[in-house]
Amino acid sequence: MSMDYSDYKRWLGADPTSQDADFLAARHASPEFEQAAREADAFERKLNHALRIDAPTEFMADLLDIAQPARGTEPVARRRWMPIALAAALLMAVGAAGVAWNLNRGSGMVEEYLVAHYAMDGAQLEAMAAGHSATNVEAILAELRYAAQPEFAALIGFVKHCPTPDGKGVHMVLNTERGPVTVILMPSTSVADRSSRLENGMEARIVSLSRGSIAVMGMNSVVVEELAASVRESILPAAGAPA
Amino acid sequence: MDGHANWITGRNEAVTKRVFDKEADRRRAFNELAETYGVDLYRYAMWICGNDALARDLIQETFLRAWKALESLQDKGAAKSWLITILRREYARTFERKVPQFTDVETIDPPDERELGPDDQAEIRNLRAGIMQLPPKYREPLLLQVVMGLSCDEIAEKLNVSKNAVMTQLFRAREQLKERLQRDGVTGNVHGLF
Repeated sequence: MSMDYSDYKRWLGADPTSQDADFLAARHASPEFEQAAREADAFERKLNHALRIDAPTEFMADLLDIAQPARGTEPVARRRWMPIALAAALLMAVGAAGVAWNLNRGSGMVEEYLVAHYAMDGAQLEAMAAGHSATNVEAILAELRYAAQPEFAALIGFVKHCPTPDGKGVHMVLNTERGPVTVILMPSTSVADRSSRLENGMEARIVSLSRGSIAVMGMNSVVVEELAASVRESILPAAGAPA
Repeated sequence: MDGHANWITGRNEAVTKRVFDKEADRRRAFNELAETYGVDLYRYAMWICGNDALARDLIQETFLRAWKALESLQDKGAAKSWLITILRREYARTFERKVPQFTDVETIDPPDERELGPDDQAEIRNLRAGIMQLPPKYREPLLLQVVMGLSCDEIAEKLNVSKNAVMTQLFRAREQLKERLQRDGVTGNVHGLF
Protein backbone atom coordinates (compact mmCIF):
# COMPACT_ATOMS: atom_id res chain seq x y z
CA MET A 1 0.00 0.00 0.00
CA SER A 2 1.28 3.43 -0.80
CA MET A 3 -1.04 6.31 -0.20
CA ASP A 4 0.37 9.81 0.08
CA TYR A 5 -0.88 12.17 2.74
CA SER A 6 -2.82 14.33 0.30
CA ASP A 7 -4.79 11.37 -1.11
CA TYR A 8 -5.35 10.05 2.38
CA LYS A 9 -6.73 13.40 3.64
CA ARG A 10 -9.02 13.58 0.64
CA TRP A 11 -10.38 10.11 1.30
CA LEU A 12 -10.74 10.94 4.98
CA GLY A 13 -12.76 14.03 4.11
CA ALA A 14 -15.01 12.20 1.67
CA ASP A 15 -15.60 8.84 3.33
CA PRO A 16 -14.16 8.77 6.84
CA THR A 17 -15.90 5.53 7.80
CA SER A 18 -14.75 3.65 4.72
CA GLN A 19 -13.91 0.02 5.45
CA ASP A 20 -11.48 -0.24 2.56
CA ALA A 21 -8.44 -2.24 3.72
CA ASP A 22 -5.87 0.18 2.29
CA PHE A 23 -7.63 3.12 3.87
CA LEU A 24 -7.89 1.41 7.26
CA ALA A 25 -4.22 0.53 7.13
CA ALA A 26 -3.32 4.11 6.22
CA ARG A 27 -4.98 5.42 9.39
CA HIS A 28 -2.08 3.97 11.34
CA ALA A 29 0.66 4.61 8.80
CA SER A 30 2.34 7.38 10.80
CA PRO A 31 1.63 9.79 13.70
CA GLU A 32 0.62 12.41 11.14
CA PHE A 33 -1.91 10.04 9.56
CA GLU A 34 -3.20 9.01 13.01
CA GLN A 35 -3.66 12.62 14.06
CA ALA A 36 -5.66 13.36 10.89
CA ALA A 37 -7.85 10.31 11.59
CA ARG A 38 -8.52 11.48 15.17
CA GLU A 39 -9.53 14.94 13.95
CA ALA A 40 -11.78 13.44 11.28
CA ASP A 41 -13.44 11.17 13.85
CA ALA A 42 -14.07 14.12 16.16
CA PHE A 43 -15.61 16.11 13.32
CA GLU A 44 -17.85 13.19 12.35
CA ARG A 45 -19.16 12.99 15.90
CA LYS A 46 -20.02 16.67 15.78
CA LEU A 47 -21.59 16.30 12.36
CA ASN A 48 -23.74 13.40 13.51
CA HIS A 49 -24.81 15.34 16.56
CA ALA A 50 -25.71 18.40 14.47
CA LEU A 51 -27.82 16.31 12.10
CA ARG A 52 -29.86 14.76 14.87
CA ILE A 53 -33.54 15.64 14.75
CA ASP A 54 -36.02 13.78 16.87
CA ALA A 55 -38.83 12.42 14.74
CA PRO A 56 -42.30 13.18 16.12
CA THR A 57 -43.37 9.99 17.85
CA GLU A 58 -47.09 10.23 17.19
CA PHE A 59 -46.49 10.97 13.52
CA MET A 60 -44.26 7.95 13.10
CA ALA A 61 -46.90 5.81 14.79
CA ASP A 62 -49.51 7.22 12.40
CA LEU A 63 -47.49 5.92 9.47
CA LEU A 64 -48.42 2.41 10.50
CA ASP A 65 -52.09 3.36 10.09
CA ILE A 66 -51.53 3.42 6.34
CA ALA A 67 -51.45 -0.35 6.35
CA GLN A 68 -54.39 -0.85 8.68
CA PRO A 69 -57.59 -2.27 7.24
CA ALA A 70 -60.64 0.00 7.14
CA ARG A 71 -62.60 -0.10 10.37
CA GLY A 72 -66.23 -0.53 9.38
CA THR A 73 -67.90 0.95 6.35
CA GLU A 74 -70.23 3.58 7.77
CA PRO A 75 -68.96 6.83 9.21
CA VAL A 76 -70.03 7.09 12.82
CA ALA A 77 -72.78 9.51 13.87
CA ARG A 78 -73.29 10.85 10.39
CA ARG A 79 -77.03 11.20 10.75
CA ARG A 80 -76.76 12.93 14.10
CA TRP A 81 -74.39 15.45 12.57
CA MET A 82 -76.36 16.61 9.55
CA PRO A 83 -79.23 18.34 11.38
CA ILE A 84 -76.65 20.24 13.42
CA ALA A 85 -74.97 21.35 10.22
CA LEU A 86 -78.23 22.56 8.73
CA ALA A 87 -79.25 24.42 11.88
CA ALA A 88 -75.86 26.05 12.05
CA ALA A 89 -76.16 27.04 8.40
CA LEU A 90 -79.33 28.96 9.21
CA LEU A 91 -77.72 30.72 12.17
CA MET A 92 -74.75 31.55 10.03
CA ALA A 93 -76.91 33.08 7.32
CA VAL A 94 -78.70 35.30 9.84
CA GLY A 95 -75.55 36.52 11.54
CA ALA A 96 -73.22 36.86 8.59
CA ALA A 97 -74.20 40.39 7.64
CA GLY A 98 -72.80 41.93 10.81
CA VAL A 99 -69.38 40.38 10.69
CA ALA A 100 -66.33 42.25 9.46
CA TRP A 101 -63.62 40.01 8.04
CA ASN A 102 -59.94 40.46 8.36
CA LEU A 103 -58.47 40.19 4.90
CA ASN A 104 -54.75 39.57 4.75
CA ARG A 105 -54.69 37.28 1.78
CA GLY A 106 -55.42 38.15 -1.80
CA SER A 107 -58.38 36.29 -3.27
CA GLY A 108 -56.63 33.72 -5.40
CA MET A 109 -53.54 32.99 -3.40
CA VAL A 110 -55.30 30.63 -0.99
CA GLU A 111 -57.21 29.03 -3.86
CA GLU A 112 -53.94 28.48 -5.72
CA TYR A 113 -52.50 26.81 -2.64
CA LEU A 114 -55.60 24.61 -2.24
CA VAL A 115 -55.38 23.37 -5.83
CA ALA A 116 -51.64 22.63 -5.51
CA HIS A 117 -52.08 20.98 -2.14
CA TYR A 118 -55.01 18.83 -3.24
CA ALA A 119 -53.08 17.75 -6.34
CA MET A 120 -50.33 16.47 -4.09
CA ASP A 121 -52.28 13.79 -2.23
CA GLY A 122 -55.89 14.96 -1.83
CA ALA A 123 -57.53 12.22 -3.87
CA GLN A 124 -55.39 9.50 -2.31
CA LEU A 125 -56.21 10.63 1.19
CA GLU A 126 -59.92 10.69 0.34
CA ALA A 127 -59.62 7.11 -0.87
CA MET A 128 -57.79 6.15 2.31
CA ALA A 129 -60.39 7.82 4.50
CA ALA A 130 -63.32 5.93 2.97
CA GLY A 131 -64.94 3.71 5.56
CA HIS A 132 -62.39 4.69 8.14
CA SER A 133 -62.68 6.67 11.36
CA ALA A 134 -59.55 8.56 12.32
CA THR A 135 -58.45 7.90 15.87
CA ASN A 136 -55.85 10.64 16.12
CA VAL A 137 -58.01 13.72 15.52
CA GLU A 138 -57.64 15.06 19.03
CA ALA A 139 -53.84 14.75 19.09
CA ILE A 140 -53.31 16.27 15.64
CA LEU A 141 -55.53 19.28 16.40
CA ALA A 142 -54.21 19.71 19.93
CA GLU A 143 -50.69 20.13 18.61
CA LEU A 144 -51.89 23.30 16.90
CA ARG A 145 -54.08 24.19 19.88
CA TYR A 146 -57.45 23.41 18.36
CA ALA A 147 -60.19 21.00 19.29
CA ALA A 148 -63.07 19.50 17.32
CA GLN A 149 -66.64 19.00 18.44
CA PRO A 150 -67.34 15.27 18.75
CA GLU A 151 -69.99 15.28 16.02
CA PHE A 152 -67.52 16.81 13.61
CA ALA A 153 -64.64 14.59 14.72
CA ALA A 154 -66.79 11.51 14.12
CA LEU A 155 -66.97 12.35 10.42
CA ILE A 156 -63.21 12.52 10.01
CA GLY A 157 -61.81 9.51 8.19
CA PHE A 158 -58.26 10.77 7.88
CA VAL A 159 -56.28 13.57 9.48
CA LYS A 160 -52.65 14.69 9.32
CA HIS A 161 -50.51 17.76 9.56
CA CYS A 162 -49.73 19.52 6.32
CA PRO A 163 -48.02 22.65 5.02
CA THR A 164 -50.17 25.75 4.50
CA PRO A 165 -49.26 29.18 3.09
CA ASP A 166 -48.23 30.42 6.55
CA GLY A 167 -46.96 27.38 8.39
CA LYS A 168 -48.17 24.08 9.70
CA GLY A 169 -51.85 23.21 9.30
CA VAL A 170 -54.16 20.23 9.34
CA HIS A 171 -55.51 18.20 6.43
CA MET A 172 -58.76 16.36 7.18
CA VAL A 173 -60.99 14.17 5.05
CA LEU A 174 -64.61 13.93 6.15
CA ASN A 175 -66.83 11.05 5.06
CA THR A 176 -70.30 12.32 4.28
CA GLU A 177 -73.31 10.57 2.77
CA ARG A 178 -72.70 12.53 -0.39
CA GLY A 179 -69.04 11.82 -0.80
CA PRO A 180 -65.74 12.85 0.75
CA VAL A 181 -65.01 16.42 1.71
CA THR A 182 -61.51 17.72 2.27
CA VAL A 183 -60.99 20.30 4.99
CA ILE A 184 -57.76 22.25 5.41
CA LEU A 185 -57.19 24.14 8.65
CA MET A 186 -54.78 27.08 8.23
CA PRO A 187 -54.00 28.40 11.73
CA SER A 188 -51.97 31.41 10.60
CA THR A 189 -53.78 32.44 7.44
CA SER A 190 -56.40 35.19 7.59
CA VAL A 191 -58.98 35.29 4.84
CA ALA A 192 -62.19 36.95 3.76
CA ASP A 193 -65.04 34.43 3.75
CA ARG A 194 -65.86 33.37 0.24
CA SER A 195 -66.92 30.56 -2.05
CA SER A 196 -64.79 29.61 -5.02
CA ARG A 197 -64.86 27.21 -7.90
CA LEU A 198 -61.29 25.90 -7.97
CA GLU A 199 -59.28 25.28 -11.12
CA ASN A 200 -59.53 21.54 -10.52
CA GLY A 201 -63.33 21.75 -10.66
CA MET A 202 -63.88 21.42 -6.92
CA GLU A 203 -66.08 23.73 -4.90
CA ALA A 204 -64.37 25.46 -2.01
CA ARG A 205 -65.73 27.50 0.86
CA ILE A 206 -63.10 29.45 2.76
CA VAL A 207 -64.11 30.54 6.24
CA SER A 208 -62.30 32.67 8.79
CA LEU A 209 -62.05 31.36 12.36
CA SER A 210 -61.36 33.27 15.54
CA ARG A 211 -57.78 32.15 14.91
CA GLY A 212 -56.76 31.33 11.36
CA SER A 213 -59.08 30.00 8.73
CA ILE A 214 -60.42 26.84 7.22
CA ALA A 215 -61.15 25.68 3.69
CA VAL A 216 -63.81 23.12 2.90
CA MET A 217 -63.43 21.46 -0.51
CA GLY A 218 -65.52 18.92 -2.37
CA MET A 219 -67.27 18.14 -5.60
CA ASN A 220 -70.75 18.67 -4.14
CA SER A 221 -71.36 22.36 -3.48
CA VAL A 222 -74.35 21.71 -1.22
CA VAL A 223 -72.33 19.48 1.11
CA VAL A 224 -69.45 21.93 1.06
CA GLU A 225 -71.76 24.79 2.02
CA GLU A 226 -73.44 22.76 4.76
CA LEU A 227 -70.17 21.78 6.36
CA ALA A 228 -68.63 25.21 5.93
CA ALA A 229 -71.64 26.83 7.58
CA SER A 230 -71.05 25.01 10.83
CA VAL A 231 -67.30 24.66 10.78
CA ARG A 232 -66.80 27.72 12.96
CA GLU A 233 -68.69 25.97 15.75
CA SER A 234 -67.01 22.66 15.07
CA ILE A 235 -63.33 23.61 15.11
CA LEU A 236 -62.49 25.68 18.13
CA PRO A 237 -59.33 26.97 19.76
CA ALA A 238 -58.38 24.56 22.52
CA ALA A 239 -58.69 25.72 26.12
CA GLY A 240 -55.89 28.14 26.88
CA ALA A 241 -55.07 28.84 23.23
CA PRO A 242 -55.14 32.45 22.05
CA ALA A 243 -58.36 33.30 20.26
CA MET B 1 -74.31 -33.07 -1.78
CA ASP B 2 -73.33 -32.31 1.76
CA GLY B 3 -69.88 -33.51 0.94
CA HIS B 4 -69.73 -31.21 -2.07
CA ALA B 5 -71.01 -28.27 -0.01
CA ASN B 6 -68.43 -28.98 2.64
CA TRP B 7 -65.74 -29.17 0.03
CA ILE B 8 -66.82 -25.79 -1.37
CA THR B 9 -66.96 -24.27 2.11
CA GLY B 10 -63.60 -25.73 2.94
CA ARG B 11 -62.07 -24.48 -0.28
CA ASN B 12 -63.51 -21.00 0.25
CA GLU B 13 -62.12 -20.93 3.75
CA ALA B 14 -58.71 -21.94 2.43
CA VAL B 15 -58.82 -19.23 -0.22
CA THR B 16 -60.00 -16.68 2.33
CA LYS B 17 -57.23 -17.70 4.69
CA ARG B 18 -54.64 -17.33 1.94
CA VAL B 19 -55.94 -13.88 1.07
CA PHE B 20 -55.87 -12.84 4.71
CA ASP B 21 -52.42 -14.34 5.17
CA LYS B 22 -51.20 -12.42 2.15
CA GLU B 23 -52.72 -9.20 3.45
CA ALA B 24 -51.24 -9.80 6.90
CA ASP B 25 -47.82 -10.47 5.36
CA ARG B 26 -48.13 -7.31 3.31
CA ARG B 27 -48.98 -5.26 6.38
CA ARG B 28 -46.16 -6.83 8.34
CA ALA B 29 -43.69 -6.04 5.54
CA PHE B 30 -44.93 -2.46 5.35
CA ASN B 31 -44.78 -1.93 9.11
CA GLU B 32 -41.24 -3.27 9.12
CA LEU B 33 -40.29 -0.72 6.45
CA ALA B 34 -41.94 2.14 8.31
CA GLU B 35 -40.39 1.18 11.63
CA THR B 36 -36.93 0.58 10.17
CA TYR B 37 -36.60 3.58 7.88
CA GLY B 38 -39.31 6.06 8.95
CA VAL B 39 -37.21 8.02 11.42
CA ASP B 40 -34.14 8.32 9.18
CA LEU B 41 -36.31 9.30 6.23
CA TYR B 42 -38.01 11.97 8.32
CA ARG B 43 -34.61 13.40 9.32
CA TYR B 44 -33.48 13.28 5.71
CA ALA B 45 -36.68 14.99 4.56
CA MET B 46 -36.31 17.66 7.24
CA TRP B 47 -32.80 18.46 6.11
CA ILE B 48 -33.61 18.60 2.42
CA CYS B 49 -36.77 20.69 2.71
CA GLY B 50 -36.17 22.53 5.97
CA ASN B 51 -39.78 22.40 7.12
CA ASP B 52 -41.55 20.09 9.52
CA ALA B 53 -44.99 20.15 7.92
CA LEU B 54 -43.59 19.61 4.44
CA ALA B 55 -41.29 16.85 5.69
CA ARG B 56 -44.29 15.08 7.24
CA ASP B 57 -46.18 15.46 3.99
CA LEU B 58 -43.27 13.99 2.06
CA ILE B 59 -42.95 11.05 4.43
CA GLN B 60 -46.68 10.44 4.39
CA GLU B 61 -46.70 10.50 0.61
CA THR B 62 -43.60 8.32 0.39
CA PHE B 63 -45.10 5.61 2.56
CA LEU B 64 -48.51 5.86 0.87
CA ARG B 65 -46.82 5.18 -2.45
CA ALA B 66 -44.67 2.48 -0.89
CA TRP B 67 -47.78 0.76 0.48
CA LYS B 68 -49.45 0.82 -2.91
CA ALA B 69 -46.38 -0.42 -4.76
CA LEU B 70 -45.10 -2.85 -2.14
CA GLU B 71 -45.29 -5.79 -4.55
CA SER B 72 -42.75 -4.10 -6.82
CA LEU B 73 -40.14 -4.31 -4.08
CA GLN B 74 -38.64 -7.71 -4.83
CA ASP B 75 -35.36 -7.33 -2.97
CA LYS B 76 -35.75 -6.49 0.71
CA GLY B 77 -32.13 -5.30 0.75
CA ALA B 78 -33.01 -2.57 -1.72
CA ALA B 79 -35.83 -1.17 0.44
CA LYS B 80 -33.94 1.83 1.79
CA SER B 81 -32.75 2.90 -1.62
CA TRP B 82 -36.26 2.36 -3.01
CA LEU B 83 -37.83 4.57 -0.33
CA ILE B 84 -35.23 7.30 -0.86
CA THR B 85 -36.02 7.28 -4.58
CA ILE B 86 -39.74 7.68 -3.87
CA LEU B 87 -39.09 10.49 -1.40
CA ARG B 88 -36.76 12.39 -3.75
CA ARG B 89 -39.31 12.08 -6.55
CA GLU B 90 -42.04 13.42 -4.28
CA TYR B 91 -39.84 16.31 -3.23
CA ALA B 92 -39.18 17.17 -6.88
CA ARG B 93 -42.94 17.14 -7.46
CA THR B 94 -43.54 19.68 -4.72
CA PHE B 95 -41.38 22.10 -6.68
CA GLU B 96 -43.28 21.38 -9.88
CA ARG B 97 -46.54 22.16 -8.12
CA LYS B 98 -45.24 25.40 -6.67
CA VAL B 99 -46.18 24.43 -3.15
CA PRO B 100 -44.94 27.26 -0.91
CA GLN B 101 -41.44 26.61 0.39
CA PHE B 102 -40.41 27.26 3.95
CA THR B 103 -37.17 27.17 5.85
CA ASP B 104 -37.85 26.66 9.51
CA VAL B 105 -35.41 23.88 10.33
CA GLU B 106 -33.70 26.24 12.73
CA THR B 107 -36.96 26.52 14.64
CA ILE B 108 -37.16 22.77 15.20
CA ASP B 109 -36.21 21.88 18.72
CA PRO B 110 -32.92 20.02 18.59
CA PRO B 111 -32.60 16.85 20.63
CA ASP B 112 -31.66 17.17 24.26
CA GLU B 113 -28.33 18.99 24.41
CA ARG B 114 -28.14 19.42 28.14
CA GLU B 115 -25.06 17.23 28.23
CA LEU B 116 -23.23 19.84 26.17
CA GLY B 117 -21.62 22.96 27.52
CA PRO B 118 -22.52 26.39 26.11
CA ASP B 119 -19.56 26.42 23.71
CA ASP B 120 -20.40 22.99 22.37
CA GLN B 121 -24.04 23.98 21.91
CA ALA B 122 -22.92 27.07 20.01
CA GLU B 123 -20.68 24.96 17.81
CA ILE B 124 -23.47 22.51 17.04
CA ARG B 125 -25.84 25.38 16.22
CA ASN B 126 -23.19 26.85 13.94
CA LEU B 127 -22.73 23.49 12.25
CA ARG B 128 -26.49 23.15 11.74
CA ALA B 129 -26.65 26.56 10.12
CA GLY B 130 -23.68 25.61 7.96
CA ILE B 131 -25.38 22.43 6.79
CA MET B 132 -28.50 24.39 5.82
CA GLN B 133 -26.37 26.83 3.86
CA LEU B 134 -24.42 24.23 1.94
CA PRO B 135 -25.20 24.26 -1.77
CA PRO B 136 -27.66 21.43 -2.53
CA LYS B 137 -25.06 19.60 -4.64
CA TYR B 138 -22.89 19.26 -1.51
CA ARG B 139 -25.64 18.94 1.07
CA GLU B 140 -27.57 16.11 -0.52
CA PRO B 141 -24.71 13.60 -0.83
CA LEU B 142 -23.68 14.46 2.71
CA LEU B 143 -27.19 13.75 4.00
CA LEU B 144 -27.43 10.54 2.02
CA GLN B 145 -24.12 9.44 3.51
CA VAL B 146 -24.46 10.55 7.13
CA VAL B 147 -28.21 10.42 7.73
CA MET B 148 -29.21 7.58 5.41
CA GLY B 149 -25.99 5.62 5.61
CA LEU B 150 -25.51 5.14 1.88
CA SER B 151 -22.09 4.23 0.49
CA CYS B 152 -20.38 6.44 -2.09
CA ASP B 153 -21.30 3.95 -4.82
CA GLU B 154 -24.95 4.02 -3.77
CA ILE B 155 -24.97 7.82 -3.65
CA ALA B 156 -23.41 7.97 -7.12
CA GLU B 157 -26.13 5.72 -8.46
CA LYS B 158 -28.87 7.66 -6.72
CA LEU B 159 -27.65 11.04 -7.94
CA ASN B 160 -26.66 9.72 -11.33
CA VAL B 161 -23.09 10.98 -11.12
CA SER B 162 -19.71 9.24 -10.96
CA LYS B 163 -18.28 7.96 -7.71
CA ASN B 164 -15.38 10.38 -8.10
CA ALA B 165 -17.80 13.28 -8.34
CA VAL B 166 -19.53 12.11 -5.16
CA MET B 167 -16.19 11.82 -3.34
CA THR B 168 -15.31 15.37 -4.38
CA GLN B 169 -18.70 16.73 -3.29
CA LEU B 170 -18.48 15.01 0.07
CA PHE B 171 -14.94 16.25 0.63
CA ARG B 172 -15.90 19.83 -0.24
CA ALA B 173 -19.02 19.68 1.93
CA ARG B 174 -16.94 18.74 4.96
CA GLU B 175 -14.25 21.27 4.11
CA GLN B 176 -16.81 24.08 3.95
CA LEU B 177 -18.26 23.09 7.31
CA LYS B 178 -14.82 22.86 8.92
CA GLU B 179 -13.83 26.23 7.50
CA ARG B 180 -17.01 27.74 8.88
CA LEU B 181 -16.28 26.43 12.36
CA GLN B 182 -12.71 27.74 12.22
CA ARG B 183 -13.74 31.09 10.77
CA ASP B 184 -16.43 31.70 13.37
CA GLY B 185 -14.03 30.73 16.10
CA VAL B 186 -16.52 28.80 18.19
CA THR B 187 -14.54 25.94 19.62
CA GLY B 188 -16.20 23.93 22.30
CA ASN B 189 -14.52 21.25 24.32
CA VAL B 190 -15.57 18.75 21.73
CA HIS B 191 -12.70 16.40 22.15
CA GLY B 192 -13.63 15.88 25.74
CA LEU B 193 -17.34 15.60 25.19
CA PHE B 194 -17.77 13.74 21.96
